[in-house]
Amino acid sequence: MRSTPPPAPLSHPGWQLIPGQLLGLALVILVALGLGSMLITAGGLDLSTVFNSRYLRGVVWFTVWQAMLSVLLSLALALPVARTLARYRRFPGRSALLRVMELSLVLPTIVAVSGIIGVYGRQGWGTGLLNEWFPGHGWNLYGLNGILLAHIFFNAPLAARVMLQSLETIPPSRLRIASQLGLRGWWLWRSVEWPALRPVLPGLSALVFTLCFTSFAIIMTLGGGPAATTLEVAIYQALRFEFDFPQAAVLAVIQLLICGGLWWLVFRQRLESSLLPNRQLSHSVPLKPWPAQHLLSAALLLVFSLFLLLPLLAIGIRGLPALLALNTAHSIYEQLLPATGRSLLIALPAGFGSVAASLMILASINKTKNPIMKAIPTTTGYLPLIVPPIVLGTGLFLLLRPGLGNHTQGWVLVALINSLMALPFVIQILRGPLNGLDSHSLRVADQLGILGWYRWRRIYWPLLRRPMALGLAYGIALSMGDFGVIALFGSPGQPTLPVLLYQQLGSYQVSAAAGTGLWLLMLLVFIFGLLSAIGRPPAHLQKKRLPEAALEPKHV
Amino acid sequence: MLYRLSLLLLAVTLPLTAHSADRPVLNVYTHPSFAAEWGPGPGVKEAFEKQCKCTLNYTVLNSGGDILQRLRLEGTSTPADVVLGLDTATMETALQTGLIGEHERSLDALNLPIDWSDNHFIPYDWGYFAFVYDTEQLPEPPASFDQLINAPDDLKIIIQDPRTSTPGLGLLLWMHSVYGDEAPAKWEKLNNKILATTQSWSDGYFSLFMNGEAPMILSYSTSPAYHMAVDKTDRYQAAKFEEGHYLQVEVAALVEPSKQKTLARRFVDFMLTPEFQRHIPLKNVMYPAIDLGEDLPTVFDRLITPEHTFFMPPADVASQRRQLVNDWLDAMTR
Repeated sequence: MRSTPPPAPLSHPGWQLIPGQLLGLALVILVALGLGSMLITAGGLDLSTVFNSRYLRGVVWFTVWQAMLSVLLSLALALPVARTLARYRRFPGRSALLRVMELSLVLPTIVAVSGIIGVYGRQGWGTGLLNEWFPGHGWNLYGLNGILLAHIFFNAPLAARVMLQSLETIPPSRLRIASQLGLRGWWLWRSVEWPALRPVLPGLSALVFTLCFTSFAIIMTLGGGPAATTLEVAIYQALRFEFDFPQAAVLAVIQLLICGGLWWLVFRQRLESSLLPNRQLSHSVPLKPWPAQHLLSAALLLVFSLFLLLPLLAIGIRGLPALLALNTAHSIYEQLLPATGRSLLIALPAGFGSVAASLMILASINKTKNPIMKAIPTTTGYLPLIVPPIVLGTGLFLLLRPGLGNHTQGWVLVALINSLMALPFVIQILRGPLNGLDSHSLRVADQLGILGWYRWRRIYWPLLRRPMALGLAYGIALSMGDFGVIALFGSPGQPTLPVLLYQQLGSYQVSAAAGTGLWLLMLLVFIFGLLSAIGRPPAHLQKKRLPEAALEPKHV
Repeated sequence: MLYRLSLLLLAVTLPLTAHSADRPVLNVYTHPSFAAEWGPGPGVKEAFEKQCKCTLNYTVLNSGGDILQRLRLEGTSTPADVVLGLDTATMETALQTGLIGEHERSLDALNLPIDWSDNHFIPYDWGYFAFVYDTEQLPEPPASFDQLINAPDDLKIIIQDPRTSTPGLGLLLWMHSVYGDEAPAKWEKLNNKILATTQSWSDGYFSLFMNGEAPMILSYSTSPAYHMAVDKTDRYQAAKFEEGHYLQVEVAALVEPSKQKTLARRFVDFMLTPEFQRHIPLKNVMYPAIDLGEDLPTVFDRLITPEHTFFMPPADVASQRRQLVNDWLDAMTR
């Protein structure tokens, strides 16, 4: 007689397959609806309008050109920084620098841009120093300079963080051999570092390209004039005064084609791998430095840190007076604190939602062999980045129109879309660690019948704890700083933090707005710091795991 | 965890949606600078609710353009009763949606620099576009467009993009009104003085002008009133241009499919009373649409008063806008 134990909860394969498929399908339908409704109003797609217009041809060309330059420069800065950080794994301030690098991506544009202008603008400190040391230098922030500088500020830290992670996954055995052979410079790069970076570079370039391609406020504030116009601006233009749906649809399709094509290339080559950091514990293997390397490395990291920190400092200096002025009749906190509460009310569910959805999507991708069923959830990793918000908004509106009655639904909706917008980033963070489990362990788990909930709790959770905390931080932070989505649907009278910031700007409350910007920045720092601490395994576990060889077969 | 969290979320947000059932609700679509804590919105709401026995509900959309967009998407099923925050540049497009009703109100109380006799739209405030300058950086600002255009290139100005911003479009119409067919050539000459062309007024004012990046920014002639009355500083003033200034009028309208027409009419009537209008000068930082007499803050006496008012009828703006924007793009990218 055989007694079968009751099946583990959630162990049916469908639990891994179906939720991700549904999510993917929902997104595809959403985009199709949004785009479809615009195309129907347009009565067809006429790409020739773009090719016949000098202006629009210029827009497409400029969009691609500035995005390519931004990718090249961001990667060019990120590479040496990542190599240096991979080489020096213990120095004071290293982990603080890593936190700051995570932060730059989620800063609301208007806050970051104000910081950048405070340093590199005509009246900025940086420019002031330049004037003193190199009179007649000809530096001018406004124009391509400013666009590239801001894009590097946003994307180079992200790229460096991703590259660092890849470099940190180089097996210690390999590094030891390299060290014993005394490999340096080109040879070390060729035989050890390049093979580790190669798989992430295409996906990373595509990600940075997409982010710069769809850039909007940066381009307009720092671009200097209409010569710097991106497709996203042209789409907005077509809808803002003109209500020109045909034009907007054509431009949106071009954007989808270019960015989607790029992602398709990356995807088809199977070149994608985890793109965002999963904060692995690093192994320290001494590599032989060449002369003066310490000095150069220190200088590089110092310059890079200053590059990231100075604009943040400018935001701080500008905002501090408003936050410190407690004695005024109307305290700024009367609005700040409730707005913070509302922001958290949206951002926390959005963060948790995007982590949960990412796990479902990744599980679904891993579960199926069918290429179409693999493709559907995969799109969620890219589509939210390349679909113009207005298309997404129109789709959602058409989908949910009868229900868009009251504020509660509005807020839930905003949280939902925010978690959707964070998906590409969270998926990138979780993919590596989730797929990183070796097949041997999985087979053993199968044999022992560790399935469903137990498998998740005992096998994945310890591995995913830290990446999930980071994913959550990204999810929450991206939605904290979001202005676009909430503005799209008509916020209720009670503002969230970014809406409050814009309201203050619209009402001439410049110093209060600077205070709100600083408050938001501090909140983001706090969220990343807190979740980074939570993600760390408890101290007693950590000790047990040292020397951190538990998962790593010992070769040496 | 997620489940418990969502329950919590529901529990916290439900009270937000609870209205007392017997009171009718008036839905007003508006934009942030009206509904903001410091805008006229809260004061207006309080005053109107006192006399109407109803609930005044603002739905805040990002701009006049977004209000229209929302109205179009919702069509005849729109819950909006009144739209407030359109301007002369979006009026015609709004009319074409077929969702705007005639107001059938008397407009005798209006006090505008031009005659207003529109059947659909009722002004609630107005102002002139003007360049605001920093007196500490620029003690002697240009006194006319000609002076600005012929100034040395190291005089930098910040403008807004006519493709994305209302004042930006205002400047385009202003230049067109002053120079006619010569405007593109003048724009080409002005180009070297333009430090930045920002997406919105806020971006330019906050990130650039208040950071001291340029001494002049395209804004409203009423902007200095706020700085003088609230910030207590005379540092920022508007430059008066000899040619005259372009008029900006902000309007409200009744929504045709509304089920609260009586209440909506009451609201637009209320709009032209002192109880509504006294919130406009320092909270919307514009001129009130009616004569407030003694109630107009004294700083408004110190604002510039243009010799000539430019104003293009909304229908002309709608029909010429695309061509003007294209000419502008052409001139600026040449």
